[in-house]
Amino acid sequence: MSKKQIILGAQFPGVNNFTVWSDPAAGSQIEFSSFRHFAETVERGKFDFVFLAEGLRVREQKGRFHELDVVGRPNTLAILTALASITQHVGLIGTLTTTFNEPYPLARQLATLDILSGGRAGWNVVTSPGAFTGANFRRGDYLPFRERYERARDFLETARSIWRGGDFYASSSHFDIAGRAGSGPLPQGAPVIAQAGDSDDGRELAAGHADLIYSRHGSLEEGQTFYADVKQRLAKYGRSRDALKILPGANFILGETLEDALEKQKAVRLQQVSPKNAIVFLEQVWNRDLTAYDPDGPLPKVDPDVAVEQLAQGRAARYDNRLETARAWRELAEREKLSIRELIIKVTGRKQFVGTPAQVAEEIDCYVQADAADGFVFAPHLTPGGFDEFVDKVIPILQERKAFRQDYATSTLRGNLALSEAWQPVAKAV
Amino acid sequence: MTQKSTFLLGFGLHAGAHGDDPDWRGFWSGLVDQLDGAAEFLTLEDRFADPGQDGLDAILLANWLAPRSRNIGIIAGAPLNFVEPFHVSTAIATLDYVSEGRAGLLAQRLDQQQSVEAGRAIGALNGFPAVDQPSLDRDALAAVDVVRRLWDSWEDDAIIRDVASQRYVDGEKLHYIDFLSADFRVLGPSITPRPPQGQPVVAVSWAVEADLALARAADVVFVPVEGDLAGMVATLQSNGPGTGPKVIADLHIRPNRADATELVAAVRTSAAQGAHGVRLILPAPHRQIAHVIDTLVPFLRADVLIGPPLGGNLRSRLGLPAVRNRYAAAA
Repeated sequence: MSKKQIILGAQFPGVNNFTVWSDPAAGSQIEFSSFRHFAETVERGKFDFVFLAEGLRVREQKGRFHELDVVGRPNTLAILTALASITQHVGLIGTLTTTFNEPYPLARQLATLDILSGGRAGWNVVTSPGAFTGANFRRGDYLPFRERYERARDFLETARSIWRGGDFYASSSHFDIAGRAGSGPLPQGAPVIAQAGDSDDGRELAAGHADLIYSRHGSLEEGQTFYADVKQRLAKYGRSRDALKILPGANFILGETLEDALEKQKAVRLQQVSPKNAIVFLEQVWNRDLTAYDPDGPLPKVDPDVAVEQLAQGRAARYDNRLETARAWRELAEREKLSIRELIIKVTGRKQFVGTPAQVAEEIDCYVQADAADGFVFAPHLTPGGFDEFVDKVIPILQERKAFRQDYATSTLRGNLALSEAWQPVAKAV
Repeated sequence: MTQKSTFLLGFGLHAGAHGDDPDWRGFWSGLVDQLDGAAEFLTLEDRFADPGQDGLDAILLANWLAPRSRNIGIIAGAPLNFVEPFHVSTAIATLDYVSEGRAGLLAQRLDQQQSVEAGRAIGALNGFPAVDQPSLDRDALAAVDVVRRLWDSWEDDAIIRDVASQRYVDGEKLHYIDFLSADFRVLGPSITPRPPQGQPVVAVSWAVEADLALARAADVVFVPVEGDLAGMVATLQSNGPGTGPKVIADLHIRPNRADATELVAAVRTSAAQGAHGVRLILPAPHRQIAHVIDTLVPFLRADVLIGPPLGGNLRSRLGLPAVRNRYAAAA
């Protein structure tokens, strides 16, 4: 009886406050040497894939560029194709929007990545906020908010017809295109499709069309609930439970002892949530200028401003009900006697595996065996060496536990993920 | 000026050149091994929407070739009328990082038939030009301007990592480009920091009947050797010799054993008429490359017209000056 195998993705630390830039060990976020080190390390650790997030406009806060976090990244497809050149096995998944791309150019680029990587391409399909991101693109703010998933679904179907090779054609409310693609069939049939949307629409899109879900439900209970919910949606699309892998985003902190790791975690969280950043996070909920508040003092007595436009631009909106969130945060802060900064450190944390390498390995394995996840997409807090210790110390323990591969079993990402439903390329029309 | 004048050699390929070879990766890695060190640059034309033979995306192929080569400049093509200038700008900037300063953009103009095919492949969309020559010309000029402005939209010292002020970046050194053309608007700034060359090389192909404005906006212009070469050089350098873009004459190498003596004569003529270099267009590289590398290039070198490739970034080896960032405050 073989044990359920853990899937591991490696997110390149990027444009958000989890990436610690103030540490002396923090390297370049843009030089190719950083990406090379990162990809070679996780390939040495037999990770399933490298994962890149997307951001197509520099983030703003109160009408000014957000200065406190890492900013600046390469073009996603370009850097993944460069990494395909220097690696042999690791998958390469890029987050790419269906809102500010068109099916033919993007499908052709993903086909190029799949061909040049020998079948290791993946696409995390997302949609983008219209007006803010649209300012950088020809079509501008053209897509009504409610239509963005409909377009994403149409886009994906159109892309699949292009990947088959030969004549393609689409005529829908979103696309009216035709042509003949020369590059199909692809090494994987189609790139591995990932999806990150958490709404009901997003979950349906994933259940019908995706191979992976990148989720934010990292705790054991939340993870199990989400896992069960999404897996039960598969049957109505005629797909097996193994056809869609669920991978929460997570972080890790390693130490010599548990106490040592907890100390490190505290220090890293203080680096991630600087005093000014704590105020910026609070402003996302309060939607007011709070620069006059002391980050080490209590939360504002004044309520959030729900009348005006959002002050923070270029971030996923996490707080739909500001008044409710503010009430809950005030209660939490009063109950646990937390300052603004301490509160933000608490409420903005993602799932973190903290402990000795053996403890972290055991906990990861337990989560996967308990069906809280099929694996994780880990984001370290340091560029580019954030996975060095994990690969040297945690991976061997996962391998000893028979929960993670000793070596890559196949040459494609789809094969290594053991996806049961390989997309069969349709024979090319002559 | 004291700058040594060098006659430049490059190769012209397209990103579907693997043809019927089923091993595309093997073909391209073998090819770049042979070309690297043999010339200053190669151009990769993109066969966007060419029915049934649209090949690979040229900019992505360039990013794959860059880590496999050490010396050769890589000028990757994109049909700017049919793609997003923002994506092209960041992808070429990335190529410049990956290649450590060897990147260029070939701003491709498609012919009428190709433009119709490309238009069908993306659909009729707001913000993209109509498929008539004046609209395409106007849009291409605007798109190149956007690509270039985005490269300048970060000052070189924008990333400060200043622990005292808790700031990673100095927001004063990022700039909106706020570009508005007849067809579209791009606000900026880029998401990619300014590339190593500041401005990667922008190249276009040009013939006398084509729009001159785009050629004048380029750093390098490829012209057919068959025409009035001296006249074209004069037109492109209308502000006097040494001004305007570098002019490179295109020499089409016949697939079946091009004659070395004939080639030397054509190179001499090109030089005499004021061209700064030649690009050898290889229509069937899999059959030609051995002859070109083993016979033609040594012959050109022996004739002392063309020296071994220089080192350094692509701008400098093409004799292009370093460029100031248009958005940086004057010191």
